[in-house]
Amino acid sequence: MQTIIECRGVSFSYGAGEILRDINLSLGKGRMFGILGANGAGKSTLLKILMGILKAQRGSVLFNDKPLQGYDRREIAKRIAYIPQDPVFAFPFTVSEVILMGRAPYIGRFEFEREIDLEAAKRAMDTVGISHLKDRLITETSSGERQLASIARALVQEPQVMILDEPATFLDIKHRNEIMNLLRKLREEHGILIIAATHDIFTALFYFDEIIMIKNGSVFANGSSETVINRENLSSLYGIDVTVRREGGKVFIYPGD
Amino acid sequence: MIAKKKFIISLSVLLLLWAVTAAVSVLSGTYDVSILEALFRGDELANTIFYKIRIPRVLMATVAGGTLGICGAALQALFRNPLASPFTLGISGGASLGALVGIRLGLAAGILGFSMVTILAFIFSLLTMLFVYSVSKVGGVVATGRLLLAGVVMNFLYSAFVLFIQFFSNFTESLQTMRWIMGSLDIVGLDEVWKTLMFVVPGCIILLSITKDMNLFGLGDDVASSLGVNVKKMQSLIYFATSLSAGAVISVTGPIGFVGLVIPHILRMILGVDNRIILPCSFLLGACFLMAADTVSRTLISPVEIPVGIITASLGGVFFLWLLIRSKKEVIV
Repeated sequence: MQTIIECRGVSFSYGAGEILRDINLSLGKGRMFGILGANGAGKSTLLKILMGILKAQRGSVLFNDKPLQGYDRREIAKRIAYIPQDPVFAFPFTVSEVILMGRAPYIGRFEFEREIDLEAAKRAMDTVGISHLKDRLITETSSGERQLASIARALVQEPQVMILDEPATFLDIKHRNEIMNLLRKLREEHGILIIAATHDIFTALFYFDEIIMIKNGSVFANGSSETVINRENLSSLYGIDVTVRREGGKVFIYPGD
Repeated sequence: MIAKKKFIISLSVLLLLWAVTAAVSVLSGTYDVSILEALFRGDELANTIFYKIRIPRVLMATVAGGTLGICGAALQALFRNPLASPFTLGISGGASLGALVGIRLGLAAGILGFSMVTILAFIFSLLTMLFVYSVSKVGGVVATGRLLLAGVVMNFLYSAFVLFIQFFSNFTESLQTMRWIMGSLDIVGLDEVWKTLMFVVPGCIILLSITKDMNLFGLGDDVASSLGVNVKKMQSLIYFATSLSAGAVISVTGPIGFVGLVIPHILRMILGVDNRIILPCSFLLGACFLMAADTVSRTLISPVEIPVGIITASLGGVFFLWLLIRSKKEVIV
């Protein structure tokens, strides 16, 4: 596995409160990592450090073996795409305008989109399956459609890495399945490293290759979902008794015994 | 339609509209179209009226209307709110008080060619904006209600100060202030135009160079950063450029309301919300609108001139009421 992002002893605090403590991770190409943890465990902060929006006070983040802080913003934007939990759309741009904004790092200050940018947007809309929405106002779409538009916007950045904060939290099971399968497809067909935070055990278990469990700002367990999703880890992670039962290729997880 | 095509078409149409409006504006007034005839005869009075009054006025209307329009659009992007404008945020009030303080202290002479009056207007605008922003921000998000309320309150406070200064002025000064506070393009010669341009040109260049960042900023701070925008720098540039240019304009014309609010609104209804198109178009349409309003103010009950601020405020007010009534179903706030 070719390592793309590496964290070495990363710590981060806001004021007096320490959010992350001594995080060591190695994240490789074409894999899908789920960061699992209770609310407030530091998942979002970790994501922002991995994409260079926040700077770790101690330790370092290497991107393709070079310190992430050595890249300028536009260079990072061509390599790492970010999709927030609850995307803001302050103005009623059309869906295709939103997607074209993903081309920003490739376009000069006084330039408009060129033919290749328009083609990239068209391809991304086809891949994600929202070509029919291109002229719709983003403010008039459903939350599932917005999430798909955000993924298409991220895709036109031609990133090596996609970072998503709770990509499926607000979606019903059908749309969640659609989004997560799409991410798996991007991982396979485009070799994109996908890192997503989630507090949902089921999403983590069903869709991710590897799980990183974060508890109180530290990596608590790290490995394939079969190995780390077990009674001990989950009970400790969420602070309640959780039963994990594996039967005939199916996994049953429920609170209590 | 792709953005570039839309940009070229809308800018061309508006430039044409500007030329037509400017021509009509130059030729209308108490001394109407016959002015051209008189000009060609070498009539001295016609010459003076044309070059010292009409032309400067059309230019001033262009600079002032354009600046207020573009600043409105930029502030709406900055506050992520379609109701932000130099007027609603209390910036007009701040700039007016700053300018008035400068005038009363006899600072019009200025340093290094920059009028202290303009500089005070700029400082007051900037401080007002920063204050209104910090008051209206709750948990990292600008709350519309608080934003507008803070703006209204600042305007009230500033008018109290203006009235206070008025109260201690003599009759002539008081009358002058009155006229100025109503918003007027009543200038003679090109001096005021050049003085204003010194501030407006850099301000507008800054704003026009970050229109793409403004679009990305509409997707939230984090997404904008992840797409390569230096969010803090962009915000500071908008603060600086809008107070600089709007402050300079207001220090000459007095507060002219509603241009910055209404013009970007109309353009978004027609052209969509892309700031790369909305900002330059807001300049041009703002210029046309103020020229037209000024022409009406000079001709409506000629030879009496109504201060143009009264015309823009009544047109803008009616437009906004219509918008409120029409949009009862949708949410504009």
